[in-house]
Amino acid sequence: MRKRIFVVALTGALAALAVAARAQDNATAGNAKAGEQVYRAIGCWECHGTQGQGGAITGPRLADTKLPYEAFLQQLRVPQNAMPPYEVKILSNADAANIYAFLKSLSPAPSPKDIPLLSN
Amino acid sequence: MSKRQEATGVGRRNFLKAATLAGAAATVATPLKAVAQGQAPAPKKTKAPQGVSALQKAAETQNLPAGAANLVERTSGSDYMVDAYKSLGIEYIAAMPGSSFRGLQESFINYGKNTQPEWLTCLHEEISVAMAQGYAKVEGKPILNLVHATVGLQHASMAVYNAYCDRVPILMITANIADATMRRPGVETDHTVQDGPVIVRDYTKWDDSPASLQHFGESTIRSYQIAMTPPMGPVILVADSALQEDPIPEDAKLDLPKLPRFAAAQGDSGAVAEVAKMLVDAENPVLMADRGVPGPNGVMSHLVELAELLQCSVLDIGGRMNFPNQHPLNQSARRGGVLSQADVVVGLDMVDYWGTIHGYRDQLHRTSRPILKPGTKTVSISSFDQFIHSNYQNFQRFADVNFEVSGDGAATLPSLIEAVKKLVTADKKSAYEGRGKKLAAARQQAYEHAKVEAASGWDIQPISTARLAMEVWNQIKNDDFSLAVSTQPTGFWAHHLWKMDKPHHYLGDSGAYGVGYGGGGAVGSALGNRKHGRLTVAMIGDGDLMVSPSCLWTAAKHKIPILMVVHNNRFYFQEVMHLQAMASRHMRDPRTAHIGTEIAHPNIDFAKMAQSYGVHAEGPVTDPAKLGAVLQRAVEVVKRGEPALVDVVSQGR
Repeated sequence: MRKRIFVVALTGALAALAVAARAQDNATAGNAKAGEQVYRAIGCWECHGTQGQGGAITGPRLADTKLPYEAFLQQLRVPQNAMPPYEVKILSNADAANIYAFLKSLSPAPSPKDIPLLSN
Repeated sequence: MSKRQEATGVGRRNFLKAATLAGAAATVATPLKAVAQGQAPAPKKTKAPQGVSALQKAAETQNLPAGAANLVERTSGSDYMVDAYKSLGIEYIAAMPGSSFRGLQESFINYGKNTQPEWLTCLHEEISVAMAQGYAKVEGKPILNLVHATVGLQHASMAVYNAYCDRVPILMITANIADATMRRPGVETDHTVQDGPVIVRDYTKWDDSPASLQHFGESTIRSYQIAMTPPMGPVILVADSALQEDPIPEDAKLDLPKLPRFAAAQGDSGAVAEVAKMLVDAENPVLMADRGVPGPNGVMSHLVELAELLQCSVLDIGGRMNFPNQHPLNQSARRGGVLSQADVVVGLDMVDYWGTIHGYRDQLHRTSRPILKPGTKTVSISSFDQFIHSNYQNFQRFADVNFEVSGDGAATLPSLIEAVKKLVTADKKSAYEGRGKKLAAARQQAYEHAKVEAASGWDIQPISTARLAMEVWNQIKNDDFSLAVSTQPTGFWAHHLWKMDKPHHYLGDSGAYGVGYGGGGAVGSALGNRKHGRLTVAMIGDGDLMVSPSCLWTAAKHKIPILMVVHNNRFYFQEVMHLQAMASRHMRDPRTAHIGTEIAHPNIDFAKMAQSYGVHAEGPVTDPAKLGAVLQRAVEVVKRGEPALVDVVSQGR
């Protein structure tokens, strides 16, 4: 019984790795310019800001994200908390990869120490 | 002939016929002396003035009823009503004119000399009541609203609900003509009603339709007392047209009751002692405060004393400015983490206790989870359950606390502090100091984190809400300021990054989230702040302001200084997020979420709109680098005693 569970679990892990690998391929193929258009069109900006800067009460910063693509995709498809789900029917894997590429292309946030109104 | 016809000598039906005589008759009218507080006015004869005999003769030839030529009166019930309200020390009337209270309006202005209270012209009853709410949040007491019979009260009703949910005293008069035979046909009949206050009865504390002047005087004092007793709330009286416009009857023995001093109910002494022991013995006690009495007599000073005694966490839920935002014990930015570690939680004047101690997930299957760990003891100290209505659900989900102490928060805190002082030993005090240092460090960390988040998107367009808030702060930080409306739409940045340590530094939200409060509420708060020389500022959403933009005209006309910054994200932003979420849930195109929620194409030019009302205005500002200078010019105008508006094209949140 234990062995059977192990086999099932291993099969699941391998499948997950395969999905992640495919996802990574998609991410690599993402187009940042196209991603920006999709990001605006489907409403990501509403909670995360037009430049992915984040909202204090709506959604975290996504610009220059350090999130791995597979985790990013997982959050899109089966979101935690109150974020709306983005099924494949309304957001293709290609578009998801484009959005990811857009977010990765954005600059890191400035330091508050370099902003007089925040450092004083 | 009705009593009214007997008293006046002319019924309303004959007004048009009699009006031809009014010009001549008016020349003989003489002013009345004020009815001093607590004194019965001298009975007034209602004989026709000298010189009317010829008019009387003319009237007889037109087959008018006997006495119809009596076109003037030396006494008026509305004068007595004015005396009643003057006895309350009310500063202002905010009102849109309405013929149903024409007698009363004239009396306030001429007989009352338009001072204490002074008439402020509003262009919508929703604005006038919102102004009263905003004023009360500064001063802790009401001004007066007159609302036209039926239609005026219908206009006002949403603002009344806001004030009810905000636990703010509102004093209203509406009018009516109870006697159907005395109504002019047509419009005036449309503006009469069997039971006018019924439409707001679910969200007012009390109403009355007095049948006599004495009744009106007593109900005036009673209504004020009810409105001002926690939980504070709106009240409304009906001033019947006959009572307003007819002479004071010769046999009237009018008296005005005195306005008593009144004290709010505080928690039972035994209960307070128990709560003190719970707090003193707790490892991680948490104090929370939400929507207690508004104005300078709120919980802040007592809450600071209690928190510092215990060196414990405080969560300001935000209905009022309950606790200095930069105080080391203010852990509001860490609400979830603090509550999850608490072993005793004491909530003061909490509107939504359950919602504060639970997490909620708004997905297809709605779920919730308790934030508190098992065994945490919860206490509520509040007067809210002393007055509650069934229909509107502002009482929120049942709190399910361990100990419900019925009493006003601010009134109860002094005795709670004394009880705690008696129990704090030297050992405990030492332990508390260690706890306080950890909390101070955690708060500082949260503050630094907020600055990091604020830096994100600092230079982008549309302008970030953090940049917006900090550019405003940079212009007002050296003044005694008052932030008039909710900081939620602008991301709570003011709460995170400004320094606010006085009750008037932040005046909370609308109460019921009825869109349209912001403009009128902010102008009302500025009215309350004016005599204190405070700089009132409001960062108000474009959608909110467009519900009641004519508040700007009232501010300009009456020289009410306020800096109104339009947080112009060109959307009903909450709604676009909801619509987008629904489209995603239904697996349909979320690209349509702007339909019905966008306030653009064409874009509203708020500066031009404000200028048309006589208000200094600039915008739309799109470049964050230019915002500071625009705000500086606006602040200079406000400091000269006038309103100013800056339109800022900004991020959603």
